[in-house]
Amino acid sequence: MSQVVVYRPDSQMRNPLKLFSEMWRDLLASRELAWQLTRRDISAKYRQSFLGILWAFLPALITAIGFSFAKGSGVVNIGNTDLPYPAYIMFSMALWQTFVEAINAPVQAVATAKSMLSRINFPREALILAKLGEIGFNFGIKLIFIVALFLVFQIPVTWSVFLAPVALIHLIALGTFLGLLLAPIGALYQDISMGLTLVTGLWLFITPVVYPVPQGGVFGQIVQLNPVTPLLVTVRELATTGVVSNPTGFWIASAIALVGLAFAWIVYRLGMPFVVERISS
Amino acid sequence: MTVINQVSTSISSTQSEVILSVDGLSKKFCRDLKQSLLYGVQDMASELIGAKRKGSTLRPKEFWALQDVSFQLRRGEALGLVGKNGSGKSTLLRIISGLIKPDIGQVEVRGRVAPLIALGAGFNPVLTGRENIYANMSILGLTRQEIENCFDRVLDFAEISDAIDAPVQSYSSGMAARLGFACAIHTEPDILLIDEVLAVGDLKFRAKCYRRLAELKSRGVAFVLVSHSSNSILSKCETAMYLSKGKLIMSGDAAVVTRRYENDLFLEGAPPATGELQRQQRSVHESPGLDVTGVSFRDRRGHKVTVPISGEKAELCIQCKVRHRIADTNMVVSIRERVGEGDKILVLSTLHDKTPFSVSAGANEIRVEFPYLGLKPGSYLLDLHIYQGSYTLLDSVQEFSFAVEGLGSMSECAFYQPRRWNAVQLVSQTD
Repeated sequence: MSQVVVYRPDSQMRNPLKLFSEMWRDLLASRELAWQLTRRDISAKYRQSFLGILWAFLPALITAIGFSFAKGSGVVNIGNTDLPYPAYIMFSMALWQTFVEAINAPVQAVATAKSMLSRINFPREALILAKLGEIGFNFGIKLIFIVALFLVFQIPVTWSVFLAPVALIHLIALGTFLGLLLAPIGALYQDISMGLTLVTGLWLFITPVVYPVPQGGVFGQIVQLNPVTPLLVTVRELATTGVVSNPTGFWIASAIALVGLAFAWIVYRLGMPFVVERISS
Repeated sequence: MTVINQVSTSISSTQSEVILSVDGLSKKFCRDLKQSLLYGVQDMASELIGAKRKGSTLRPKEFWALQDVSFQLRRGEALGLVGKNGSGKSTLLRIISGLIKPDIGQVEVRGRVAPLIALGAGFNPVLTGRENIYANMSILGLTRQEIENCFDRVLDFAEISDAIDAPVQSYSSGMAARLGFACAIHTEPDILLIDEVLAVGDLKFRAKCYRRLAELKSRGVAFVLVSHSSNSILSKCETAMYLSKGKLIMSGDAAVVTRRYENDLFLEGAPPATGELQRQQRSVHESPGLDVTGVSFRDRRGHKVTVPISGEKAELCIQCKVRHRIADTNMVVSIRERVGEGDKILVLSTLHDKTPFSVSAGANEIRVEFPYLGLKPGSYLLDLHIYQGSYTLLDSVQEFSFAVEGLGSMSECAFYQPRRWNAVQLVSQTD
């Protein structure tokens, strides 16, 4: 019980081994708290809502209906997809939404927990884990809907569907990496959360969500350079055809996501004391 | 202002283990928001690249929120922390609990620190009391198993058993505060940081809180208690520290430290109180016949003093020059506090007392004797009017400024009550 903790002004980066072991320790220690927080947040959210879990897939549904109409009436010219269009767009939207949730999660988590952060020293990792739990829960709800959709449109799946969660985790990791990196600054400056809405709105247009992967052209190149593209497309492919069209791109994007996540974790962890210092003095 | 370090009188202190050691701690803050946020980003960046922070120099618009504070806390010891708002007490607690990093110096903590600063942190108003107990206590660092073990005790302590399954937003503020306190105090800490939170709930609940604190203390839990009230420091702590503007002014025996704090507090904000007035006699055609030439105080030995002492004998002396004998002279003295609403707190009048006096030609001194000066320590303004009969004003003094000092602790006392304590054995009359 008499564990000694020393608080010093020196940067923790000067002793990386100690830092890493503390990060690992806190990650383990925060599991239970994260679980409690996830439960608290989810039940509080749905207790104050009439439509409840419908909200998990309602946005995807509305977008899908809108675009299906637009495509059907020829207002927008979207190439042919390998899945029936309503199913394609709804599945893609669900994935995209999950990615956006992952970006916003850390910034939101820090913003809502401000008063807690400035008064209690609990493992800061718990806030992020709790949000990831919530994202997982939301995706679970969406999954029920997606399964129903696959049944309705009789979309064939292969055994590779069991690999899809791995790619999905990489997609969430990419979102969390970006969100975590912005969270400390986002707690200080409102610009971050306002800018995020703007950027994710634009980002959707350079990601093959409502249209299939474009081939060639400047636009096609931009879409290809977008790290979300290979991850999102691979999840979609693994869940349906089982043929991964761009494995190299997938692994590069995954590496960015996972290495970035580890880096962002350090930024978040080291940045939080300074955030706490500034938001409540 | 010098730092006076007194050797702790507590017997156990030399033997028991130091569980909190603060060494040369300094912390700077910035009052300008924009600048402060910018510094925050700068500090974060230099932390990340592992640069050496220039902790010892102030950047523009910064000030020292804490400066070179050192102390030690041993198992089972209670330390009181006094100081005005903004003196750095909360900053100190926040560094100890690891929320913010020090700029200079270091803090060494052995064991679990529980802040009683954050009652009900993480309470969600929509959820029931039961759910909130689980969430709140996990935030405070307990495992699910530990929470289940003490759940009934928490419930019992908070006295809300019948409302436990109702949402917390339906609770009264007192109930919510009790629940928060109960959660925090059942976390089995080694060091408890208490920041003026004991004022929650009714008197009965407060008494229960203090009992629980005493019980924890006897089990070896150490406290740091922050309070404005010297009484609660005095009743719970052996040692105390007095912080002012981030500096440690004094530490040591709680009674000595709180007395110093109170004296500083009561006297502060006022321009140096004079406590003595000298003025010239007016010319013949200006004066109605009596001129006040001086006002001063005398202590119980008859010596002239500028600062009378609360609870002791004092005399208010008014020197005046009189041109011819005046038989029925009356005097009205009214006193108000320099701070606050400026209401009169004392009006003494020979008109009310029906004790007019007479003055003879030449120099006179009118003395008002206070067997026990009832004014509490503080800073006062005195107005004085001298009449011939009831209506003819002879002379007056406006806003004579003086201060009163105290010897014992008089916080929470509005006035000095002379008293004598006795215990008398009653002889039983039966059979």
